Amino acid sequence: MSGQANQSPRDYSAFDVELTHQALNIRLFGRLLKWMRPYRITLGVSIALVLLGATTSVLLPVVTGRVLIDTVLLPSAASDDLPDYGLVDLTHWLADAWSVDLLVAAGVIYIVMHIGHAFLMFLHQLTLVSSALKALRDLRMDLFASLQNKPIAFYDHVAVGRVMTRVSNDVENLFALLTGFGMLMGEFVPFFLALFLMLHISIELTMVVAMTLPVAAVGTYAFRMVMSRIFRLIRDSVSSLNQYMQEDLSGIDVVQLSGREALNIDQYGERNKENRHQEFRAINYEVLYENFNNSLASMATAGIVWYGGGSVVQESISLGALVLFTHLINLMVQPVVMLGQQFNVLFRSMASGERIFQAIDWEESIHEPKEPAQLPERLAGEVEFRHVDFGYYADDLILKDVSFRIEPGEKLAIVGPTGSGKSTIIRLLMRFYDFRDDMIFLDGVDVNQINSHELHRRVGVVLQDFHIFSGTVRDNITLGNPDITDERAEWAARVVNAHRFIQQLPAGYDAELGERGKSLSQGQRQLLAFARVLAADPEILVLDEATASIDTATELVIQDALHKLTEGRTSIMIAHRLQTIRECNRILVLHHGVVHEHGTHEELLAKKGIYYTLHELQFQDAEIAKELSGETTLSDVDRVVAITEPDWDETDEESLHADPAEPEQPSPLGGEKID
Amino acid sequence: MDHYQRRERSSFKQLGHLARLGTYFNHYAWVLVAAIFGLLLTRILDAIVPLMMKTAIDSLADDAIEPNYTWPAIGILVIVVFRFIIFVFSRRIMRRVSIGVAYDLRKRMFSHIQYQGPTFFNRFSTGDLMSRAINDINMVRMVVSFGWVDMILFVFTISAGLYFMFDLSSELARWVIIPLPVVAVVGFIMARMMFPYYRDQQEAMAEVTNFTQENLNGIRTIKAMSQEEKEVDRFHAVSTNYVKKVYRASRFNAWIALIMPVLSSAAPAVLFLYGGALALRGEITIGTYTAFAAYMWMVIWPIRHIGMTLSMFTGAAAGTQRIFEVLDSEPEVKDGDKAALPENLRGDLTIKGLSFWHPGAARPTIENVDIEVKAGQTVAILGRVGSGKSTILRTVVRLVNTPRDTVYIDGHDVCDIPLTDLRKLATLVPQDPFLFSTTLRENLTYDLPGRDEAQLWDAAEAAGVAGSIREFPDGMETMVGERGQTLSGGQKQRSTLARGMVRQSPLLLLDDCFSAVDTETEERILSGLARLRSDKTTVLISHRVSTARHADKIYIVDNGHISESGTHDELMELGGYYSDLAAIQSDQDTDHERKTRLLHDLEDEGREVVS
Repeated sequence: MSGQANQSPRDYSAFDVELTHQALNIRLFGRLLKWMRPYRITLGVSIALVLLGATTSVLLPVVTGRVLIDTVLLPSAASDDLPDYGLVDLTHWLADAWSVDLLVAAGVIYIVMHIGHAFLMFLHQLTLVSSALKALRDLRMDLFASLQNKPIAFYDHVAVGRVMTRVSNDVENLFALLTGFGMLMGEFVPFFLALFLMLHISIELTMVVAMTLPVAAVGTYAFRMVMSRIFRLIRDSVSSLNQYMQEDLSGIDVVQLSGREALNIDQYGERNKENRHQEFRAINYEVLYENFNNSLASMATAGIVWYGGGSVVQESISLGALVLFTHLINLMVQPVVMLGQQFNVLFRSMASGERIFQAIDWEESIHEPKEPAQLPERLAGEVEFRHVDFGYYADDLILKDVSFRIEPGEKLAIVGPTGSGKSTIIRLLMRFYDFRDDMIFLDGVDVNQINSHELHRRVGVVLQDFHIFSGTVRDNITLGNPDITDERAEWAARVVNAHRFIQQLPAGYDAELGERGKSLSQGQRQLLAFARVLAADPEILVLDEATASIDTATELVIQDALHKLTEGRTSIMIAHRLQTIRECNRILVLHHGVVHEHGTHEELLAKKGIYYTLHELQFQDAEIAKELSGETTLSDVDRVVAITEPDWDETDEESLHADPAEPEQPSPLGGEKID
Repeated sequence: MDHYQRRERSSFKQLGHLARLGTYFNHYAWVLVAAIFGLLLTRILDAIVPLMMKTAIDSLADDAIEPNYTWPAIGILVIVVFRFIIFVFSRRIMRRVSIGVAYDLRKRMFSHIQYQGPTFFNRFSTGDLMSRAINDINMVRMVVSFGWVDMILFVFTISAGLYFMFDLSSELARWVIIPLPVVAVVGFIMARMMFPYYRDQQEAMAEVTNFTQENLNGIRTIKAMSQEEKEVDRFHAVSTNYVKKVYRASRFNAWIALIMPVLSSAAPAVLFLYGGALALRGEITIGTYTAFAAYMWMVIWPIRHIGMTLSMFTGAAAGTQRIFEVLDSEPEVKDGDKAALPENLRGDLTIKGLSFWHPGAARPTIENVDIEVKAGQTVAILGRVGSGKSTILRTVVRLVNTPRDTVYIDGHDVCDIPLTDLRKLATLVPQDPFLFSTTLRENLTYDLPGRDEAQLWDAAEAAGVAGSIREFPDGMETMVGERGQTLSGGQKQRSTLARGMVRQSPLLLLDDCFSAVDTETEERILSGLARLRSDKTTVLISHRVSTARHADKIYIVDNGHISESGTHDELMELGGYYSDLAAIQSDQDTDHERKTRLLHDLEDEGREVVS
């Protein structure tokens, strides 16, 4: 089994590096195709439509130039060998069939093609968007599902923000790529048709037009390159501007109380100025580029008039062909400009694709036993830690030779300063990490032999940063478990004192809880988390008590709920509150990963060790407190103060890498803000 | 949400609001005129190109005319170069002006907001203000840089195009222009209908982002509860909804892209058939035909876009209104006008018959409150959540609009003291431990950057946070993250406490500043307070008897009234709320009756607060 000893340390920094390779990676497109496959018919139709639509858009000037001018208005000998794609014949045929003038027949063709083009592009757009959207939704789902199955170790080491942008922005970038690609296809059909037509009419004239293309391409690309840098600076300045304002508004009381108004106006002004400076820089380039391609096309027109005029005089080309040429110029320039623009999108989405696939490919999982142990219907609830050594890194042990045993129905409190390894005990019990066999046992069964889902069903946990799901209150209690009836959910809520506030909600148990239950107060959310774990009725309960500041009143309600929750259930509690500790049968004092003291409240008090000092302090006997607060500092008091200092919060390792939880609200059932 | 709805209802009636932007344009008036003139010039140059083409084509088509194509070609080239230069100059001016106007608006808005009071912030939430400062100013900026110039250019281009069309062949022009008004109106209507689709799309995207963020933040709970699959199902619903919204928006866009060309194709159709017939009959030349076509497209293009621009205008008008809604709000807390205060104020605080209604509230938050604090005393205020404790402190520093003749510092009515002086005199440390995302040093010296080092550490020491700061690798220069989120709740609270203490004001008001620190740290802080402020006045709100017991006097606030007051011993003897609280907090299991009673009270209170 994969013990931590042979577990090579992973390089998580690989996940966080900026992937901005400027190289084309064709393999990525190959992988992307896998997600396009189910929608290949729609996509194929879409491509066919854009090819067809693009063709009509090229034929429109042919109708004007070849049919209207050369055939109807000014039949000329010079133009007979020019391609008209059968349009001249079609016009003649239509005129004969309907016995109308050639002009009317040509007009009908013109209008039909004009409208037909719009329709084809409309259908192309719909099919393209729908297939791309569906494919990317599937990709997003697969990405999300793969994220759900990554072990906790992964989330301990990578930044949540980084992972998030992969699900949101990076997939969006691929959407831009796919739709941009469709657009580009639509542009290049006219390009080649026009090129073919132009070459057929006159190679020399074509050269005149072709000379502008490299200029347009290079100009566009260079512009994009310069702009992408400036845009980044603008983005930075805008976000700094907005962030400053947001923060100033959030802390406006502090601003006003500190008399900082004028200074902040200055500081905001600095940022505002920086933003203006960058914006000014950007427009210097933008105005140059804004008219660049149009001007190029006009220059090409001048060249054609000059060079082509001579050809018409020499009768090597027709006048219609010349007019046609001036129309075709834009069809040539446009796709080149588009290509220059799409280059950026291409590179950006390439990096996005890499990030997405990196996340999907990231193979890291917690082992599952091949033949999971069959647990009885109901465990007695005995927990044993046997000489547990564990560290997240091989050379840095968090737990050293930790052994203890909890009898069925017993309550154990674990106390100790930050970093002592309390949270790690919980994480091991939940098998969030892989570790050696024969260390942790439930009813004598090695937890490594228990399937993790099964384990999570048996061991209920209320983490310090417990999560409220978006959904109704009821959903949050039942967690979609069909075995938990509405009655049972309500019963659980009643037991943990949550029923009352739930009833006060506008829709009661069906009230939708917004983002992370933000509509509830800290205390209410805690009670909801209790109700949830009670409804699931696990044999063993693990509780990491929240340190968030709650006033005495709410604390009372919570303590009462906790009491009912743990009644007759094997419980392990990481306790911060005195009352919680008093409720427990035994207490384990952990310090630097080592069990320092272990026993009942009375035993530990009698021992006069760490626990005793902690206890005396918390009970804050007036006399001792006075002594403490006075200038006379006792050496052991210093020591105790040092270990009880809640530095970097009690969340231990969790808070170091994960996105820190939202700020605690020092308000119980509602908040004093209405005060 | 609210403002979106308002923006949707924006109509031509609101266009008048744009006039208020006038003052922001004034000092750019002359360059703007020059820029518009330049842009008009480019349009005229544009209009000459087809004429050049006509000359060349006619000379080539008619054998009777000497072929003339070199000069038109040179003409086109010269025009292109001139046009390019003029365009760059004019456009640059326009866009600089738009950036300048946005800059000015932002600056004024930010400055204005700094001096607003609670009524203002109740009316405008942070999100709302941000949206006004970002979206609405951007909207205005778009209109300034493109909108109204486009409008002028559109009108000019259309007139020029029409003029040339009628000049070339009024017979043909008359028929060609008939479908154009329809195109303009439909364009306008469709552009206005677009907005909700975009909004839905953005909201759906926000939902995807929020869901993912929530999920990743709660991943430990999710795994512990084996909820992975259900989360995937939930995510499926969210992301499918997003895809649906994007599809709808794209579909609407596609409809616009379909309808506009189809409608406007009536004009080229007329040109093709009728113009072709005229050319066939020799009434117009082929050169006229091609030039006419060029002018026609010159007219069609702005007509297709005029609807979009108009809808942008109405949007910007609504945005302007929303910006001025903020700028028109007068600060509710008016600055006191007493010129200067006598030096060496002692810090006596007297509150006499203070009642306070939050604007629009049905009943007063606090009623007839009398509090007397002598200089150098420490006074504690206790009471339930929502009883009005915080409001009392806020009236002292006039964070709310304090009624006259109720709150005095050393006998001066706080309403007469200039705000800056008042807030130097009395420092309030609010309940919410708010830190700015900068270094600890900057946070602790927020009111007066560059404060003396010794003083700073002294305050940090007294607030019980110096030890933690020393342990940070970066010490005082530690960045605390947004809202101070890299610190623990207790560290944040002690830091805000240090920020208040460092100011050494005669009057320190602490609003429940010990809730997140453990009792022993609290003891240390209280002794620190006693040391630093032996001769100064301190008023503190607390939930703990252990905090209050050392105070010279304790006030219990219940439902806006002072219900009990006295020293610790006096109140213990009284046997009221305070003694109940003391019993519970001292953890004497024997006193079950009191505990139950308080629990019962709490449930009642919970009901109130929730409703």
